Amino acid sequence: MNQISRLIIQKVKTLAEAEVPDELRSKRKAITTLLPYAIWLEQDGQPEILDTFLHAVRASKTLYFTWSRANQFAGTLFSEASPRAIVLASPYILRKAPGRDDMVQRWAAAASVVPYTEEVAQSVVEALLQIAFNHELLPHLTNIWSWLTKRPSLPPVSMGRSLGIHPNTINVVRELGDTEILKSYLLLVWSEWNRIWYKGSFDEMCASTREDFGGIGMGHHRADLIQRLDHILVQLDRGLEYLKQHNPDLNEDSVRRMGDQYGELRNILLGMNIEAIARTSYPMVILPCILTETDVHRISHNVYVCAASPMSITPRV
Amino acid sequence: MEVGNKTMDDWRMGEFGTAPDQDVAKAPRNRKQEILSAREDYRSQFYKHYRKEAEDYDREFMEKHDEDLNTTLIFVSFRRCSGVRMLTRSQAGLFSAVTSAFIIDVQSQLRPDPNDETVALLRVLIYKVDNTTFGNDPPALPQWTGPPHMVVQVQAILYASLAASLLSALLAMLGKQWLNRYVSTDLRGTAVERSQNRQRKLDGIITWYFDYVMEALPLMLQAALLLLGCALSRYLWEVNPTVASVILTVTAFGIFFYIFIIAAGAASENCPYQTPGSQALRYLRRRVQRVFFLAASVVVSTFRRSEVFKTVVNNFEQYHPWWSGDNIKPFLKVTALEIPRAFATDAYRLGRATVRLFSTLRHLGPAMATLSVSLARKAHNRLRGVPSTPGQGLDQRTTTLDFRCISWILQTSLDKAVHLLTLKHLVTTPTLASVNPTLVADCFDVFIGCIKGVDNHKVVIAQGLEELATVSALCFFNLVSHLLVVDPTSSILEGARQRCLEVLPAYAYFNGHEPYYTMNTACCLLVPKWRLLYFQWSDYKPSTNEHSMVAKSLVKFARFEYQGAPQAKVPRLILRFALHSLSLYPPPPTSIIADCLSIVAIDLGCDVPDTGAMTSDERWVCI
Repeated sequence: MNQISRLIIQKVKTLAEAEVPDELRSKRKAITTLLPYAIWLEQDGQPEILDTFLHAVRASKTLYFTWSRANQFAGTLFSEASPRAIVLASPYILRKAPGRDDMVQRWAAAASVVPYTEEVAQSVVEALLQIAFNHELLPHLTNIWSWLTKRPSLPPVSMGRSLGIHPNTINVVRELGDTEILKSYLLLVWSEWNRIWYKGSFDEMCASTREDFGGIGMGHHRADLIQRLDHILVQLDRGLEYLKQHNPDLNEDSVRRMGDQYGELRNILLGMNIEAIARTSYPMVILPCILTETDVHRISHNVYVCAASPMSITPRV
Repeated sequence: MEVGNKTMDDWRMGEFGTAPDQDVAKAPRNRKQEILSAREDYRSQFYKHYRKEAEDYDREFMEKHDEDLNTTLIFVSFRRCSGVRMLTRSQAGLFSAVTSAFIIDVQSQLRPDPNDETVALLRVLIYKVDNTTFGNDPPALPQWTGPPHMVVQVQAILYASLAASLLSALLAMLGKQWLNRYVSTDLRGTAVERSQNRQRKLDGIITWYFDYVMEALPLMLQAALLLLGCALSRYLWEVNPTVASVILTVTAFGIFFYIFIIAAGAASENCPYQTPGSQALRYLRRRVQRVFFLAASVVVSTFRRSEVFKTVVNNFEQYHPWWSGDNIKPFLKVTALEIPRAFATDAYRLGRATVRLFSTLRHLGPAMATLSVSLARKAHNRLRGVPSTPGQGLDQRTTTLDFRCISWILQTSLDKAVHLLTLKHLVTTPTLASVNPTLVADCFDVFIGCIKGVDNHKVVIAQGLEELATVSALCFFNLVSHLLVVDPTSSILEGARQRCLEVLPAYAYFNGHEPYYTMNTACCLLVPKWRLLYFQWSDYKPSTNEHSMVAKSLVKFARFEYQGAPQAKVPRLILRFALHSLSLYPPPPTSIIADCLSIVAIDLGCDVPDTGAMTSDERWVCI
């Protein structure tokens, strides 16, 4: 049996490292079949197969790698698996698992005891974003949301990020009333790798930036958000070919729409910056940002604009 | 990791009840010996019942054929006339006597008659004495120019009749000799060997169409009678047409009556007047019907796809109602204009299809040659009574006979206890390498015999037959998975597939029974539609033995599927099984986990060592 396990591990690693996602995807059912066994072994202190599975999933660059048949066994797997295994496996089986209430609680409990690593944080956030939009338990599991503030780097192809932009999720996050979590959430879901599919989401995000990040006290949050958006826009400017290397599902239309959406969000934030500056009579320094000519005209007459970096704004003489 | 500690062989020994429960802590060698002894126990019990069934069957078989042969012999000759049957035999023996009498009577006409010559010489003497006695017509000595044509014809037919009757007598005597040899008891060998020898002889009777030869005897006698009637009619027609007409009438009546009973027998299987001719006619009718309907459907579908037909139909629809005064003219005009073009299109397509057909036929030659060689080899092996698979040896020959004995007893016995014992023997057979494919149908029939009914799509097993259902399902599954590997195009599999669809109602499932895994898996392997519609692994936790058996077979099947086409994937059903098995808690025994991992490895394209050829005992030792 060990011999067969070694053969499998070696084969899956070879497939993952060969960077041929199509071949990996064609074997996704077989690789998913390993997941329960990998979870059992991880519990016994043998994480090799689980790690190999996770490696294969990331290398496949697909949203739907896991075979849906595995979801029906999630209850059995979660009942006996170790916290680390639960946390690492949950992004791939928790989303469509039947009767998720108890599993979500088990998952949240596991996340609370598992030691922090980048990989764990990534898995927790992935799973959280996947299930957040239609699960009523999550608003009550306040601790779990704090994982967002760790801001793990999600892979270019991320089911969590794709589902995390659902309007319901934004509402849930906003209702938490924690600006830091909300900002972290936006920083995670805004990405050059996926566009904001839902019209309602985009509207909700616009509303959130206006309502939750308004005012002079929110300047540093806005600066973080603007910085993120700038980074996204720069990445989008590198062209479709570059983006497709990391996320094959992207197309020209998506990239164009992303540019529009994130540009508009950035404009909103900039506008709010300017409004905030206009309301104050004190010289202030805002974090680096780029102001367009239009932005400059919108600044009220008693404000000086100096195009230095960091940009300083001083009252006009 | 905690694993279950029961294996397939535990179940084989423990749950069948005849072998003592096993202590899992015992050394593998002891266990293996116990397994072997349990297997021998099943085998000896099976052959004990086999002997009993065989004796009953052979007695009936001998009585039937012996009676038939005696009747034939009596009808042909006076041989063995004795006792109370004297009257019947005397009447029947008349056939040979009458034929011989006619032959003797007509035989004289084949030579010149000395009386005719004497009369002619006397006439010459009288003419010499008085040349006015015969007027102007002087007598001449007759010249023999051979027998009359009619006499030769009649004699030939009579001899043909006699030859046919004597040949049937010869065959009847040989038949009695063959039967005596069949029932003769071997003086050497164990009970198992003698039983297998008997089975070998019985298989030979089937393979060499003994029944057809026996059926041919009455046919030959009937032909002899017909020939006698024809000869008599022809002969008497020359002697006296009035007398001949009586014979002709009776012969014609006999012929028409015979044709009528053949037709009646062919028309209805319930008709009591069955003859070999009826059966042949019924078989031919089915074949002709099938060919006719096939040809008709081809013609109709070709016609419907033709451009001419489409054009006419389109115009009918376009100019509806086409018979009205305004429409009839444009309809006819457009149709007449379009028909030549459509006809030309059809002619072009037909020509293209013909050219393709000929180009295909050109490549058909080598394929046909290969097929012929293969068929000839199979036929040769079949007539020799050996399996067509390679690697034959004494053990394999014994195993083959073993399977034939099992198949025979499943087909002939009605006793459920005997069925159960037989199937236990089958399920503990270590290898299916030379299995008789008809066992698939036999096992399925036994399983179906255990079903009480179907309640709300759920199959209900009759009370008291649960064990038989379980064992028969296991055997069925084993055989199906084995056949799918060794001969996936087997007609036996196709037959089993049809039977599954016919016998089991749509959406039937086996939840709640021990053979759930096995029957569902077997049905899914057999009938592709079943895979998607009816199968839910998650509803059921199988027993270790059932699980182990299914896992072992599916690994073998997965390996075969992948080896058959390296780019192909292992069927999804098998991966689902592996997923389900690996997800169970507590985890299944190590052997099952190893099988599931093997399935995954095979699908991933790993070079997995072949453990499928291991016997159950070896497998157990490995565990």
